[in-house]
Amino acid sequence: MKNLKLYIYILAGFVWLSACKPELHTPKPSSGSADFSRYIAVGNSLTAGYADGGLYRAGQLNSYPSIIAQQMQSTGGGTFTQPLFSADQANGSGYLSLTGFNPDGTPITAPVTSNLAIRGFQAIPGFGNVTLYTKYTGDLNNFGVPGIKLQQITYAPYGNLNGYFERLLPGNSPTNTTSYLQFVTAKPFTFFSNWLGNNDALGYATSGGAGDVLTDKNTFAYLYNLLITTMTANGAKGVVATVPDVTSIPYFNTITVPAVLGAVQKANPQVQALYINALVSGTTYAPRAATAKDLFVLTFPTSKIGQPVETPYGTLPYGLTPYSPIDNQYVLDANEVALTENYVSFYNATIKSVAASKGLAVFDAYTFLQNIKQNGIVVQGVSLNSNYISGGIFSLDGVHLTPRGYAIVANEFIKAINAKYGSTVPLADVANYPGVKFP
Amino acid sequence: MRKILLLALALAPVLSFAQGFQVNLEGEKQIGMGHTGTGLAQDGASVFFNPGAVAMLTENYVQGGVSPLVFQSVFNPSGTNEQFHTANKIAPPFTFYGVWGPKDAIWKLGLGVYTPFGGLTDWGTTWPGKYSSEKLDLKAFYFQPTLSVKLTDYISIGAGFVYNRGTVDLTQALPLANNAGQPGQAELKGSGHGYGWNAGIYFKTESGVTVGITHRSQVTTTINNGNAVFTVPASLQAEFPQPNQFSASIPLPATNSIGFGFHPSNKWTYALDFNAVNWHAYKALIFDYKYTTPLLQNTNEPRQYQDAFTLRAGAQYQACQKWAIRFGGGLASAAAPDAYVTPEVPDAARYYLTGGLGYKLASRLDLDLSFEYEHLFARTQTNAYTQLSGTYTSHVYIPGISLSYHW
Repeated sequence: MKNLKLYIYILAGFVWLSACKPELHTPKPSSGSADFSRYIAVGNSLTAGYADGGLYRAGQLNSYPSIIAQQMQSTGGGTFTQPLFSADQANGSGYLSLTGFNPDGTPITAPVTSNLAIRGFQAIPGFGNVTLYTKYTGDLNNFGVPGIKLQQITYAPYGNLNGYFERLLPGNSPTNTTSYLQFVTAKPFTFFSNWLGNNDALGYATSGGAGDVLTDKNTFAYLYNLLITTMTANGAKGVVATVPDVTSIPYFNTITVPAVLGAVQKANPQVQALYINALVSGTTYAPRAATAKDLFVLTFPTSKIGQPVETPYGTLPYGLTPYSPIDNQYVLDANEVALTENYVSFYNATIKSVAASKGLAVFDAYTFLQNIKQNGIVVQGVSLNSNYISGGIFSLDGVHLTPRGYAIVANEFIKAINAKYGSTVPLADVANYPGVKFP
Repeated sequence: MRKILLLALALAPVLSFAQGFQVNLEGEKQIGMGHTGTGLAQDGASVFFNPGAVAMLTENYVQGGVSPLVFQSVFNPSGTNEQFHTANKIAPPFTFYGVWGPKDAIWKLGLGVYTPFGGLTDWGTTWPGKYSSEKLDLKAFYFQPTLSVKLTDYISIGAGFVYNRGTVDLTQALPLANNAGQPGQAELKGSGHGYGWNAGIYFKTESGVTVGITHRSQVTTTINNGNAVFTVPASLQAEFPQPNQFSASIPLPATNSIGFGFHPSNKWTYALDFNAVNWHAYKALIFDYKYTTPLLQNTNEPRQYQDAFTLRAGAQYQACQKWAIRFGGGLASAAAPDAYVTPEVPDAARYYLTGGLGYKLASRLDLDLSFEYEHLFARTQTNAYTQLSGTYTSHVYIPGISLSYHW
């Protein structure tokens, strides 16, 4: 009995002691020489939180500016408002979801078409149909507009041509006359992030060099200077990011020439090569056999290969003769790759020099993603790389990121900000953000 | 003798101070005195501390004790001001010892059941290191029959055979999210066994100082056919065949100890122990699965532990016939080298302070209470394998109680 009592005392004492948990003393986060009270994010689809081939509410909630802003909360960051689609229209533009795998391991995706935020279409003469989305009204910190190029930031009618921009503007297409640059600088801000420039190269690349053009170098330099000068005119500080190497994304690295050729040869051993219509120089294209340096886009329907096509030389199998080459839109050929890289490196030199002249922080996304492509990256026990789906960083469209990818990018922005301004904005918990979602 | 002592002391700061997942709670009297006992013959716990000293015990013993503990760790991820704590889970290392020999015989038999290794860390399923570890529950029991023989009045030796029974239950998250964004889960649960031995020698020197030297061999717990349970999204289940089994070997390292006992008066006993633990045996944690697939490969996580050292000191004051007061402490070096610290064993150099009370309930019945506070120094680490980066610190409060019957 006496022992029992003693034992109870010991247990009670034990419970009491367990209450004193060990603590680590961390310094209070500081904003350093920056002021995060009103942070705005300028950019394109990456900034908007676009993922899986669409802009939808869950993606918006996981946008990298939103993650950065959450982390800034402890260092004087203000509220950060995004142009979210409503919960009823949560699927926004619609997007791709993974529904399973074929027996050969290739993914099966299906578009999500319910609960969209599409309000109609507007025909613009000489341009085509513009999809219009449910308008967003209210305060705005995230100005990410999917599809926008740096080249378009001063173009007054742009708000009539891009449905994602149109939904942020008060007026309806085709009556808008506010340029993107005017729109983002209309209200004062203390800090900004800018990740524009990707589409100036990506638009050309993802269309296989066929449906778009690279933004002229001088135009890029002029507009980047104008953009940053305008953004910093009232003393705001900020961070900018470079343009990633287009060839570092799975959109160009998943369906490869050797893999496609191998599959064709398995069925038809006589086939020697795949033929593409490749850039020679300037705007001259000529058919030639494809090599591993030519990149197929992720959306290339490989089932077309070998199908009979009518040509001036008779009916020939698609992609297997110089007279029936694979369409230009499906291939970013070696010369187009080189041309794109040449432009991207000019763009990045411009971005870095303008940022340096204004004393801005720089996140070198080009180097960061190039390094992931070559070496992969391990973050908090998760091994990630640039592979499609299995890599964990890129979403189902092969261009935009998963929530985990965006969290990693957000942390890189934060590291750049902290290094430049002596701030200690805490890093986000990457492990808390999912990669590709599997059914 | 004094020279050796000085040498040991001089070495101490250089070697700094043994642990990994070693548990040093093998007898309440000894815990009270800083967990010393290699150079003393106090009670049945000598089966563990120095089987060589068992034959020098003047009585026979049956005793049992328990030292419930909560290992409390905190983690601060690098570049953040967040803190993540382990859940309060009570691990109950226990001991049982029996020592018997005919009166005035030169030999004694012993049996020890104790818990020399173990770990219980539960970080939960939402902390930043969940893809490294969510929970580890490791227990290693040793059953040790022992024979000890007195060679002369001054020297005795002893040795025991060790049968080890180990259980492991570990869970971690898998970076494969389902449609709700929830990560997958892996749980590896199994038990295994191993064998080893334990030997020691015990001297009574002319100066009255008692000395013990022991070796406890490495015991490798081999787990075969443990259950490997993977919870993953349905579309990936084929890549994680169920049911599946795993095998693993966990080395429980050898320990070499030398200890000294000083008996300046009837009232005072001092003890000093030095241990070297051959943690270098723990090179990697390897799991081999019965069925592997492109997504489920055998894992080999490097650990690269290094040998670790402990210096312990303690004292006992026999206040009166009925009461004894004990106190002590120790310093231990880390077994996990920089860049190989993992959350399931947030190893670091540590110190501990202990106190104890002994009370004679009856002429043949002792009640011993002990208390230990152990603090692991804060350690900022980026694991080379997982890149989990942050600062750990831990502490442990360990009360203990034992009853000994002797005749």
